[in-house]
Amino acid sequence: MQLIETTQEALRLLFVGDSELWQIVWISLKISIGALLLVTPLAIVAGYLLATQRFPGRRILVVVVQALFAFPTVVVGLLLYMLLSRHGPLGSLQLLFTQTAMVIGQMLIAAPILIAFTLSAVQGADARVRETAIVLGAGRVRTALSVLREVRFGVMAAVFNGFGRVISEVGCALMVGGNIAGMTRNMPTAIALETTKGEFAQGVALGIVLMTLALSVNFAMSWAQGAGDQRR
Amino acid sequence: MSHLLSCHSLKRQQGDRVLLSVDQLVLELGQTYLLTGANGAGKTTLLRALAGLDSARCANFEFEGVQRSLSPYPRKLHRRIGFVHHHPILFSTSVVANITFGLHATGASRPEAAQRADAAITWAGIRPLVDTPPQALSAGEKQRVALARVHAMDPVLYLLDEPTANLDENGRDLVTRLIDAISKEGRTLLIACHDRELLNLSGVTRLNMTAGRLEVAS
Repeated sequence: MQLIETTQEALRLLFVGDSELWQIVWISLKISIGALLLVTPLAIVAGYLLATQRFPGRRILVVVVQALFAFPTVVVGLLLYMLLSRHGPLGSLQLLFTQTAMVIGQMLIAAPILIAFTLSAVQGADARVRETAIVLGAGRVRTALSVLREVRFGVMAAVFNGFGRVISEVGCALMVGGNIAGMTRNMPTAIALETTKGEFAQGVALGIVLMTLALSVNFAMSWAQGAGDQRR
Repeated sequence: MSHLLSCHSLKRQQGDRVLLSVDQLVLELGQTYLLTGANGAGKTTLLRALAGLDSARCANFEFEGVQRSLSPYPRKLHRRIGFVHHHPILFSTSVVANITFGLHATGASRPEAAQRADAAITWAGIRPLVDTPPQALSAGEKQRVALARVHAMDPVLYLLDEPTANLDENGRDLVTRLIDAISKEGRTLLIACHDRELLNLSGVTRLNMTAGRLEVAS
């Protein structure tokens, strides 16, 4: 049975600490966590402003954010590729096929999720939280921090959700990263490559890591949502 | 003339619906006012407008002898005018952090905030509650913490929205005593009140609201 042999080999790779395999895992984590660290503060501010401010065009922006939620990641990759390619408007930055390009791609993919989740968390917050902060003399920033603190579990769920999306995303990473070994090869692109080469063991091993991560993130997300619900 | 607050033709509309249309409102320093009226008469709307939570138009708004605008509402007025919601909400931090919140927000130093919070805790008799998570407090306890939170800021005018509604007898008693204490400190209170719960306060002026309009009740 090829499946059983492959799985055995995959487990061996995982437990003997195959350096190539763990390097791929490390690159994946570095890029995805880096992207989230950069985009989360901006997305939270954007989500909060969309939820609390009234300005012309707000509804359209909300719809756009929600539409971007379902934006195919290969299209994000395509647009970013055209921007970053040598003849593109940002070609002089020479970012194509670098980890930076992958970080930018993942930021773009995570942003709508983070914004939309923060938006709905803040909208779901009790209005009296914001009002109490205001009547106690808080300025805009302190008021925002108080509200975000009350909905922190919703915001945490947003971050976990964003992580789950970018860590397993293959289209954009492949296009703007280029799947260069030791550089821009992350778990999803490696799995895609190994599979086409007919070498399943590494693919399965990485698949196990990815599944474990995705499951942990889902557990973390359910925990955050459960903890948030309990507080009500 | 010791008017604390006066305003003329205070109005709030939502579409065609007039929520508030008060020809004249004058609050004297050190007085306690009971704002009565049926549900939807505009009691809460009036308090929220004066607290800067809902925008309202006002021809001539004067507070502590200074001409002010009601909307946009000057932030520094929040130090002088305290507002407590019908069902006050406490931040899910701690009782002490709730009480120091306004002090920090208005620039008090840490030692000063701690000292004033401590005084407010003693004043409200909530020392036994300080280690309880805010969300675990009863309605009456929350109301007392909320009053302590406002009292710590020492405003000159208190706007209280049905502070004793839905409290058990003991809770109502404790809250009424705090309100009485505020009044004895020479502060001005405007209290929305659905029923006759607070009428055992002495020396109050009753104001009655009907369909957004205000009249001085006999």
